[in-house]
Amino acid sequence: MRTKLMVFLTVILIFATVLAGCSGSDSNAEDKSGSNSGDNSGAKAKVKLTGIMVKHPLTKPLAEMEWLQKAEEAAGVDIEWQEITADWGQKKGTMLASGDIPDLFVGGNVITDADFAQFKGLFQDLSELISQAPKVQEMFDTKPETKVIATQPDGKIYGLPKYQRFWPASATRQFINQKWLDNLGLAMPTTWDELYEVLLAFKEKDANGNGDPNDEIPMDFPGGFGGFFNPAVLLGSEGITLTDGSSQGYFVEEGKVKNFLTDERYKKLVVFLNKLNKAGLINPEVFTHDYTKYQSIARGEGDTAKVGFTWGWVASDRFGEQLAPQYASMSPLKVSADYTGKVSWSYDYNTLNYGTNHIVMSAKSKNKEAAMRFINELYNPVVSMQVLFGSIGPNIKDNGDGTYSVLPPTDTKMDPGTWKWTSSMADAGPMYIADTINLTLGKDMQEVLTQSEPLKSALEVNLEKDVFPGMFIKYSDADNNTMSLNNTNVTNLANTNFAKWVTKGGVETQWDAYVKESIKAGLEQNIEIMQKYYDDYMSK
Amino acid sequence: MSSQMIDIDRKTIGPGIRLAKKPTVLNTFKRDYQLWIMIFPAIIVILLFNFVPMYGIQLAFRDYDFSKGLTGGAWHGLHYFKQFIDSYLFTDLMRNTFLISLASIVLGFPAPILLALILNQIRRKKMKQILQTTVYLPHFISTIVLVGMLNVLLSPETGIVGYMMKSIGIDNVNLLASTNTFIPVYVLSDIWQHCGWNSIIYLAALSTIDPLLYDSAKIDGASRWQSIRYVDIPAIIPTIIILFILSMGGILSTGFEKIFLMQNSLNLPVSEVISTYVYKIGIISNQFSYAAAIGLFNTIINFIFLFAVNAISRRFSNMSLW
Amino acid sequence: MGQTSKNGNEIMFSLILIALGLLIFLIVAYPLYFIIIASISDSTLVSTGKVFFIPKGISLFGYNEIFHDSRIWTGYKNTIFYTFAGTFVNLLFTLPAAYVLSRKEFKARRFIMLLFVVTLFFNGGLIPTYLLMKGLHLTNTIWVFILPFCVNVFYLIIARTFFESSLPSELYEAAAMDGCSHIKFFIKVALPLSKALISVIGLYYLVGHWNDFFTALIYIRDNELQPLQIILRDILLSNQVFANGAGVGGDAGGYAQRYADQIKYGVIIVSTLPILVLYPFLQKYFDKGVMIGSIKG
Repeated sequence: MRTKLMVFLTVILIFATVLAGCSGSDSNAEDKSGSNSGDNSGAKAKVKLTGIMVKHPLTKPLAEMEWLQKAEEAAGVDIEWQEITADWGQKKGTMLASGDIPDLFVGGNVITDADFAQFKGLFQDLSELISQAPKVQEMFDTKPETKVIATQPDGKIYGLPKYQRFWPASATRQFINQKWLDNLGLAMPTTWDELYEVLLAFKEKDANGNGDPNDEIPMDFPGGFGGFFNPAVLLGSEGITLTDGSSQGYFVEEGKVKNFLTDERYKKLVVFLNKLNKAGLINPEVFTHDYTKYQSIARGEGDTAKVGFTWGWVASDRFGEQLAPQYASMSPLKVSADYTGKVSWSYDYNTLNYGTNHIVMSAKSKNKEAAMRFINELYNPVVSMQVLFGSIGPNIKDNGDGTYSVLPPTDTKMDPGTWKWTSSMADAGPMYIADTINLTLGKDMQEVLTQSEPLKSALEVNLEKDVFPGMFIKYSDADNNTMSLNNTNVTNLANTNFAKWVTKGGVETQWDAYVKESIKAGLEQNIEIMQKYYDDYMSK
Repeated sequence: MSSQMIDIDRKTIGPGIRLAKKPTVLNTFKRDYQLWIMIFPAIIVILLFNFVPMYGIQLAFRDYDFSKGLTGGAWHGLHYFKQFIDSYLFTDLMRNTFLISLASIVLGFPAPILLALILNQIRRKKMKQILQTTVYLPHFISTIVLVGMLNVLLSPETGIVGYMMKSIGIDNVNLLASTNTFIPVYVLSDIWQHCGWNSIIYLAALSTIDPLLYDSAKIDGASRWQSIRYVDIPAIIPTIIILFILSMGGILSTGFEKIFLMQNSLNLPVSEVISTYVYKIGIISNQFSYAAAIGLFNTIINFIFLFAVNAISRRFSNMSLW
Repeated sequence: MGQTSKNGNEIMFSLILIALGLLIFLIVAYPLYFIIIASISDSTLVSTGKVFFIPKGISLFGYNEIFHDSRIWTGYKNTIFYTFAGTFVNLLFTLPAAYVLSRKEFKARRFIMLLFVVTLFFNGGLIPTYLLMKGLHLTNTIWVFILPFCVNVFYLIIARTFFESSLPSELYEAAAMDGCSHIKFFIKVALPLSKALISVIGLYYLVGHWNDFFTALIYIRDNELQPLQIILRDILLSNQVFANGAGVGGDAGGYAQRYADQIKYGVIIVSTLPILVLYPFLQKYFDKGVMIGSIKG
């Protein structure tokens, strides 16, 4: 009995295996015929295309975006979207290497310049087709820098950029709890020493007035040395202008590419941070907390704030709606009272307002004209506006006089930032928000701009000599590889030492050896490469 | 048990076999054709899915060139291996990887055996079932959540372990941040998560023991300690040896995701391992060849270890993988 | 005297055993309990260490969010199918092979074992494997979950070791005398004697399929074919993304933030519960003397 059952099952299995092969190819055949029929039909019928959108996880399904349906209709295409929210890096490698790709890729830098170099022939050179997309041409004409972003060293254009215009010149704003200052009768600090005194008072006294003098965390940050919201912005106090957060330490000063990781001024900052830490002024978990915890702590308990001094994008996001009013956005500090040099900040305008490779086309696409029509539609400023903020109607109000305003969320519990990411492709989408379009921003963006005011003078930087135009530079494949290998080593070393020096001290004695190690890890080689490209770019 | 016995018996089995000849694959084929039928599907599947793609190993010796196909790039010999061995972090990576997996084996390997022996001794059925079900549960927690939990529970300020350590006077030790505590936290949380799951295999082996053996041990006056020593352990020895050989073959493979998620700038000197390094260099640009070379380097060392341990085991215990 | 000290030892042994069992239970159970309370408590309170034993700020937002996602039901359906079909195929391919490799008279045994063990270590990498799957038309079909790699060499070795040590070779020889073939012996004698093994290997395979998200990540594009784990991972990572994407463009919203961790812990419970139900059914095969009972029966 059992034997028969086993035999029976084995036979079934073999059949199943055979069927698997067949059914697999069947469905493929169907797919192909589907797209072919689209191909052959007249100009009026919709052309079928396939696309991948790498979107933010909050973003609702593309099928529910009204503006996208309209845009597809206007372009005469029907796109079958595959929407990806996670693990894109892992998926991408096999997908590209096997050559099994859709007609369009959409998303922020979904396919990188390195991919173009590596997978030659897989992606469509759009420079041949740009004449079919007048709106893209218009962007290139009015904002020539967008063309620079898009153009590869060999003159080809594989991916189109975005321009979103409204974002501020820096991602990082500096916040201090004004209520605590008032409670303790202290003035807003203007130098590192004053900051130290203020933080010390935060720690020793009951700054939040809840009766417990020990629950205040005077200072907190995410835990790295550079990048947004980390202490490297304090290097501005010593005259260093970071670019795009300088998460790997590179910056430009007087036309010279440098890296602050081996700069004496960085050493001084580390000494200062160590002093703060020794006095117990920095969150003891600063190097180990995860993002959730970092955010939760700053949101305090009810009306009781817990964090005195920190950095963030905007107060309402960093501290929550309830506590945000307690905090004031601060001007950058001076390193000391007698410092007379310039005070600077992190200049992030380029990375916040431009983006590379937001839409890319497959070279194998059978309907390049149709795909180009769709791309053209997206770069129509009125459509672009909806790419960023959502459809006219639920998300944007058409005032009827050629002006538009961004509407607040319909769900009153939701903040405008989340609303934007839920409603549309938002910052991940390809777009051209023309300077001519008259759009009133939502409350969140207005808050960002108001809170950026105190940084204004520090951000009046010399674009010719003190900003690294990273967004506009295209490295060769070989240089790119060398640099990324070196940077892995350099940042590894820097991260480790930064955390160690801040928590345990020792920077003075270990500095020289560390500088030597950094050079060994490839820091100077990278500076040389970057200088070469920088000079090249600036001479144009 | 021994093969000798089977050879003797073979003489009596079938008329088709000549006694004088040494048995080889060919001349036993007819006798063993049913065995061949039974193993055939597995062989096909392994050949097809495991061996066919192995041509990809060449990538470690070649440049990856998309337009020429996977194996069409220029031959680079040992270039990428040299690049790895000469690389700035090479010694650190090797040391960290080796230490973490060694600690995992030394502590993590015996733990499920002990747990299985303990579970096997519990006589109250209800208690045994509850305990057994509980210990196997953590296996299902995904790594992301596990590390998230470690962050919450081990936090020196707000975690329960932090509170407990403070109450017994150990202050100012951040378990998540110290280079000294990274490996213990990693290994112990691993044991916590997988010990119960891994003990299942030993429990299964223990279940095959004839209850009569326990009875006769009891009659001989053996204590329960002794019955563990002389009845339980011998029953699971073969499983232990085989699993041990296999685990030695993983001497340079640490998991990736958990270490990566547990890394922070304070523990990085001990937590940067080969797999996390490969991820970091690979993510920026697709360094397929370099990553493949590092992978192959890893594999070869693992394989050498496996080979050696397997040979030792064959010599001393007569148990081996092949 | 001997008698009393022996009883003393026995009592001592039992006490130690109970103490150990209790300790293990507490160490394992508390974090599990923590997951449950964290999945219904306010995430801010959880991550600031306000929730230890009693859930606080209770809300079912996390579960609501998870089950609100309509894809989750498709995910459950797919995963259940992949898991059972996959495990069945796994056992069908693995057990007979393991039996064969446990037979010492099988002459190709060493060579085949070596061949198999090699695959534990060497593989061609993801890209050639992907190309193979594509060539076989397995990508984006349900078969990619079931057929490829259906023989796990690690489990095969475990099964072989088990057969070797628990099936006395006299057993087959005796059966062979009665004219029993290998296939018949395997089905009629070896399998019934190996319920514990089948449960273990079956469970290992089962859980492997249940937790597998990588296969779908690489080979599946059709949303209708996605297994539960992909969908849960999507939901889970949705909340992790705040960590790197913060700031730029007001990415992180306070609204979502407050419940992020609820979802994280809720996901674990949602994905684990169904498979927990299975364990008690298999557990009985690990009880002592199961095998002997079946020999006699």
